[in-house]
Amino acid sequence: MPLFIRASHPSVNGEVPMKAMRVPELGTQTIQSVVTSIRETMEAPNKPANLLEWLALLTTGYLPDPEQEKDENSYYDYPSLKPAVWHWEIVWYFYFGGLAAGCYLLATLASVFGSDEDKKALRLGYYLSMLAFLPCPPLLIKDLGRPERFLNMMRIVKVKSPMSMGSWSLAAFGTFAGATLVSQGARDGLLGKWWGARLIARFPQKLITIPGSFAALFLGGYTGVLLAATSNPLWSRSRMMTAMFFPSAMSTSTALMSTILRFIRTPASVLHKLEKLEWINMIVELISMLTFLRQSGRAARPLVGTGPKELGPTFWRFMFGGGLVLPWFLQTFMLSRHKKHEQKAAKAKKNNKQSGKSKHFEPMSLFVSLLVLVGGYFLRKTIVYAGHESSKDARTTFWNARR
Amino acid sequence: MAIVREFKRSNLPVLNFGIQQAEKVLTSFPVQKPIPEQPAMGFFTDTSVCIGCKACEVACKQWNQLPAIDPEWTGTSYDNTQRFGANTWRHVQFIEQVGRRKPAQEKAPEPMVSVNANGQKKPNLDLPMFEEAFPNFKLNGPISEAPAAPAAFNTTLPFVKEDRWLMHSDVCKHCANAPCQEGCPTGAIIRTEFDTVYVQQDICNGCGYCVVCCPFGVIERDSITIGDGRAHKCTLCYDRLKDGMEPACAKACPTDSIQFGEVAKLKEQARARLGYLHEQGVEEAQLYGVDDNILDGGLNSFFLLLDEPEVYNLPKNPPRPMHNVMPTSFWGLVTAVIIGIFGILFFTQKD
Repeated sequence: MPLFIRASHPSVNGEVPMKAMRVPELGTQTIQSVVTSIRETMEAPNKPANLLEWLALLTTGYLPDPEQEKDENSYYDYPSLKPAVWHWEIVWYFYFGGLAAGCYLLATLASVFGSDEDKKALRLGYYLSMLAFLPCPPLLIKDLGRPERFLNMMRIVKVKSPMSMGSWSLAAFGTFAGATLVSQGARDGLLGKWWGARLIARFPQKLITIPGSFAALFLGGYTGVLLAATSNPLWSRSRMMTAMFFPSAMSTSTALMSTILRFIRTPASVLHKLEKLEWINMIVELISMLTFLRQSGRAARPLVGTGPKELGPTFWRFMFGGGLVLPWFLQTFMLSRHKKHEQKAAKAKKNNKQSGKSKHFEPMSLFVSLLVLVGGYFLRKTIVYAGHESSKDARTTFWNARR
Repeated sequence: MAIVREFKRSNLPVLNFGIQQAEKVLTSFPVQKPIPEQPAMGFFTDTSVCIGCKACEVACKQWNQLPAIDPEWTGTSYDNTQRFGANTWRHVQFIEQVGRRKPAQEKAPEPMVSVNANGQKKPNLDLPMFEEAFPNFKLNGPISEAPAAPAAFNTTLPFVKEDRWLMHSDVCKHCANAPCQEGCPTGAIIRTEFDTVYVQQDICNGCGYCVVCCPFGVIERDSITIGDGRAHKCTLCYDRLKDGMEPACAKACPTDSIQFGEVAKLKEQARARLGYLHEQGVEEAQLYGVDDNILDGGLNSFFLLLDEPEVYNLPKNPPRPMHNVMPTSFWGLVTAVIIGIFGILFFTQKD
């Protein structure tokens, strides 16, 4: 696989060198070729101008060459695709839908596999998921050209249309989340103490939450498929869109849950589990994102580039850097510190019996959660809006359609 | 129904009444017979004979009662329509290729100006020299006769060899596997009995998914504020086809650049036309959407082009959006499984 797919550019003596560095067998040669490749890029006339451009080159492997792109055919550069009609409503819907699905899945995971403490603390997820779900249908209906016809979505079931499956999964999830809310409310005594409430409370909740978590899985994942099954170069070039959105849904909801749990008295062991899960979520999201950028190559330019109308600065600062890499490092740091604390506490425990509950309010953990929540929003925002720019780029659209 | 009739015969008045009501309810949901199958109909747009008169655009607007777009001067060409839209279903493109054909071998360019024996500079052009006629102009006398045209003029004008205009009437491709139809969540977009792709306006709720699915940028959602907020595109004049008439654009086309007919027969015609053009030395002629299996089935509305498809704003071989559903879901599921396994691990762990 070429390391940098570099568009050729006419050099001084009129030759047109085609530079596509190939990664040879693993070994010292690989490093050498990487070094030479980077050195050659540094000498290129269109070399990256700043750090963000370097990041864009290293992640996508594509160095834009305006000279070469000028030679590509197009019809006066008029867009050959129509931009999506999706705007802020859809960004927020993706965000809230992810939160709803993630919170529900976390609560179900805890209720099935967790300890009594986990179950008690994470039942909050069922309330949060309903809360996050509530704005979703209005946002989607507002987005329609004819909102009064929203029920037409329920007219057919079409497996090959992600939009149809998404509508059904939203309806199914809403039903399950509502039923879970009633059941949980009855268990927590929110419905009073009359016989009906007691009857509901006695109903085995797992009969609702386990099928419900499949609906949640669908809801958290289909948004990526929705974007990928289009003709938009940025959204459809790589097949990692869901692999990016689902971990992000899980990490934002873990962040939301742990933020709230930190403010109400929650055992540190539960928070620690969430922190570890958050750490894994971010790794999975990072790997998916790097794969996505690498596979997208040139199509990812509107997302990672720093040119006019390209969303690179927002993406790198608030999503990739501030919303993923920085919180991951902070989380790693805190987890390693936690381990030392634990070892100390274990020693202390031998001397005098003390419960393992440490302090609840950690500013650093709150900061990490906040970064993740903001990063999750900017992931959806930059991808949706960079998609608009991608559809306007006729040359990249044609490049994507040349196979 | 036989059972119903049996029940009717029994003389129970209450039951009879109930059955009558039930029949009424049932008949209010009539099961319609499917319309008899028709041969697939489509367009063959032969750009080699298009003269860019835009009669098709106008005829389409008139027949389908589409409002005019806001006029906007592009400055790039005579194409001030620029793009397809909810109210533009035919779109005539003007491709101006200036200095298109480069000389086969690199020769040192001939000097533009040569100096003759008298030391006078004279342009090196094989064109009538108007300077020679200037003295006559100054005298205001009659211009006796036009200077004789150089030999090159007798065949073709020199710039026709070098530069050319391509004209192309673009339209919905009515793809055999239409991504807009595959994506439509309401079932508003259907295939008609003529195998054309049609948006049922009474069902479309304007979700806009077809807009992002279309690889040709054809279908568009009408403005919510000014328009009706629904998706619109070429219907291949479904109403006219129903009455056995050809679509308005094909009817209006003065050069038969737009031909309408059965897809199978039209494709044969297209191949024959391509062969003829190749015979005549138009090597660059190529077909788009006939034998190239675009979107895994070709197009029902196809083109004969005189250059690469990209020149006409057509993607060479667009990927089919539906193919992304399974792999994208799979990789999403992989991440879900990884996170799920770690979640189970962490939650079952004892501190």
